Amino acid sequence: MKDIREDIAWAKINQDVLKSLENPRKLYWVILFCALAAFGVGIGCEVYQYQTGLGVANLNNPYAWGLYISTFIFWIGMSHSGTLLSAILHLMHADWRKPIYRFAEAMTTFSLMTAGLFVMVHIGRLWQFYYSLPYPSERGIWPNFQSPLLWDAMAIFTYLSSSILFLYVGMIPDLAICRDNMHEGWRKKLYTLLSLGWEGTDRQWRNFRVTYLTIACFLSPLAVSVHSIVASDFAMSQQPGWHVTSFPPYFVAGALYSGCSGIITLFIILRYVFKFEEYMTKSILKKIVRLTFAISMIWTYLNAVEFASVWYSNDQASKDILIQKATGTYAPFWWGMIFCGSIVPLTLAFKRAQTNIPVLFAVSLLLNLGMWLERWMIIAPTFSHGYYPWTWDHDQWPSLIQWGMVFGSFGWFTMLFMVFCKVFPSVSMYEVKEMVYHRSLHLKKSETAEQGAH
Amino acid sequence: MSVNNLLENWSQFRHFHPVDDKPHDPYKWAMSIDLDACTGCNACSVACYAENNLPVVGKEKYAHGQAMHWMRIERYWDEDDRDFPDQGAQFLPMMCQQCEAAPCETVCPVAATNHTADGLNSQVYNRCIGSRYCSANCPYKVRYFNWYDYPTDDNVWPAEMNQQLNPDVTVRGKGVMEKCTFCVQRLHAAKGAARSEGRIVRDGEVQTACQQACPASAISFGNLVDPESRVHKQWKAQQVELDKEEQTKDKKEEGGSELRGYRIFEELRPYPSVMYLERVRESAV
Amino acid sequence: MSQRHLLALFNNFEDAEAAIYELRAADIKGFDFDDLTLKSPIEHHEVEDVLGQRSAKVQWFTLVGALLGGLLGFFLISGAQANFYAQIKGGKPIVPFPPNFVLTFEMFVLGGVFISVLGFLVCAGLPAKRSPLYSAKVSEDQIGILVKADESAIAKIKGVLLNHEALEIQEEAGK
Repeated sequence: MKDIREDIAWAKINQDVLKSLENPRKLYWVILFCALAAFGVGIGCEVYQYQTGLGVANLNNPYAWGLYISTFIFWIGMSHSGTLLSAILHLMHADWRKPIYRFAEAMTTFSLMTAGLFVMVHIGRLWQFYYSLPYPSERGIWPNFQSPLLWDAMAIFTYLSSSILFLYVGMIPDLAICRDNMHEGWRKKLYTLLSLGWEGTDRQWRNFRVTYLTIACFLSPLAVSVHSIVASDFAMSQQPGWHVTSFPPYFVAGALYSGCSGIITLFIILRYVFKFEEYMTKSILKKIVRLTFAISMIWTYLNAVEFASVWYSNDQASKDILIQKATGTYAPFWWGMIFCGSIVPLTLAFKRAQTNIPVLFAVSLLLNLGMWLERWMIIAPTFSHGYYPWTWDHDQWPSLIQWGMVFGSFGWFTMLFMVFCKVFPSVSMYEVKEMVYHRSLHLKKSETAEQGAH
Repeated sequence: MSVNNLLENWSQFRHFHPVDDKPHDPYKWAMSIDLDACTGCNACSVACYAENNLPVVGKEKYAHGQAMHWMRIERYWDEDDRDFPDQGAQFLPMMCQQCEAAPCETVCPVAATNHTADGLNSQVYNRCIGSRYCSANCPYKVRYFNWYDYPTDDNVWPAEMNQQLNPDVTVRGKGVMEKCTFCVQRLHAAKGAARSEGRIVRDGEVQTACQQACPASAISFGNLVDPESRVHKQWKAQQVELDKEEQTKDKKEEGGSELRGYRIFEELRPYPSVMYLERVRESAV
Repeated sequence: MSQRHLLALFNNFEDAEAAIYELRAADIKGFDFDDLTLKSPIEHHEVEDVLGQRSAKVQWFTLVGALLGGLLGFFLISGAQANFYAQIKGGKPIVPFPPNFVLTFEMFVLGGVFISVLGFLVCAGLPAKRSPLYSAKVSEDQIGILVKADESAIAKIKGVLLNHEALEIQEEAGK
């Protein structure tokens, strides 16, 4: 299997990656156009909902949350693998992350932005959104710091701004490369501004390394805390099916899971669209696939733990919800989640599937479908069969407005992501060089060692 | 200074609620509902619509579950092989239980719902941003969200109908949460009147709309702190205490107690302010 | 005496490293070794052996930022809770610890990250105007050595650099 070549010329690395800023395949424009159209649908739905009221989402009184919150969790989850690749694997010195972490980190940033939108469309009075921000006011009114929703806001703000900084700091040397190679124009100006006059001096590199490492150290626990806090939205409540101790680790595992399969999908798309076959090699793909498989099994295990602990508990209300999930109105979706989340990843255990691009593309989409269903299956059954008998078996199906916004969010994400890949280098040039350099050094060393042995 | 204030009043800020050493003073509004007297006639619900300017959403939205009945009569059906199946119908008037430790309060991101000094669970419409977390976390599901702009766009009070709106109560626009207030506008008026005479509100001086309309007098309402009040006497007779999550009745096996008073979901520890009096069982009569 | 800049480009790091060693050993008059800057397309840890430990101080920014963020977080939140028309919510204390610790952690991270990046900019001297001699080759694959020295020393330094197979030497125009 081909890996990144050790003898690849550094100038060629620059050239190849910079080419992605110039002329991608036609498919790029098709994707961008479709994304814009989908986003337009979402905007239309939101305008209608804003004008008319949230009733058009077909939510109702006990059943107050719907797809907005499920999809919010989904996008927050998607954001986690970027951090896994860029921060956690960086701390673990996993070299193979280098060609692919940049787009994963961009995925983090953009899926957080998408998740943020869902908070906005979910609330009833969007025009009063600023009430939830802790700003000093002359009336001395503050938000309620006890609310997990406020923790959410704070955690997402921290995570989003730290991710953007991390992405940006890690990109400075590459921006300098862009600056040096671009023709005159607005982009040259942009790169000149953003690269801050980076020259690659020893002083700059030294501080750069320390900073990058430090932010990575902060980001790793931060990512875990963010999804634990999202889990707290449910675990801190009193509702059966939500008030589960294992929710935070379960959510984090689910987040890494959906994020990893998201990375596989985007990996395959980017590799083709921007002609990155030389850098996004199949051997790297194989490593992510194995990682995904491991995480899928962790997720399956935690799922089983949750069911078992509910089943053997003395909590009838939670038990009823579990039974409802498996046999009630939502049963097809729940079993769909089990199938997509626990059965489909078993294909990844086969060596032949681990590098088969069409198979991986399909599997990664199915995994994410499963993870989306998982989030919906956390929300919906508790509303339709909670503590209070009056609410029982009160099913509520999302209206087309809700579906439209979910659809639109994919457009928004894809649009941001595609624009990013066209404007900024989505493969880290300097780190690929580092990877190549260290490999060639290693080769040289082993060669001399061999010669010495003879 | 904030930090000074924080340090000086530290013990006050670290105080848990409810505890019996710090009772509400001078008011703690509470209710008791006699299910044996309740006939399920819905008069309370209608009175509530009239008093609190609740929008009547119409058939279609009602079917969607978007009704705004702060006071609702739930009907449970239990045939049990009776000779007369109709006897198996049971009614439960359900409204906000004004919990002492309300699950809805902690989760509101903007602090739009709080525990008031007279023991109510308040809802500040102006502050609400409509995250609906309170409703999601309410065990009784008694919070109602304004899914549409009922007063204007939706025209629930057409033409002269708006003349019958209660001027003491605001109408709510779209996107805010609302719920039973124990007719807080009446409580305010009564407290104000009593204060100007230098006393506290006497029992019977203030009634909630549902209580007033109940033909069977199943609902009693008053100040739980006042030993003379009917509510206080009822709670005492049933040995139901506000700050306990398990009452004398619960400690005996089912049917083993003469006591009828209970509160719903006490085991979740929201410490509700509404006591229900169980229906007298036919077997016990 | 007026000083001038000199930039030499090398094909690989070993050559540049050897050149720096020699410059260091040569002890040329009118040239301070600290005025030597290495420019490279990737980071070379090994350079510290040659240049000596030029320390990075970003960690101190991080420490201060994180601590300040955490403290600010805790006291801002607790103070706000105590001053906000202190009403009980859900029977919990008005200043409840568990939520405040969660938020304190977030503020700790936020402060740490923001101030680290600030520290990076300060310590690395960014944003900056590029030095008078800069070659785009450095961002591609060549190693550059930028030297600032008295005019008298320039010729000697040039000799040393050329000895080590410098591909190209750029000189600042004399004044």
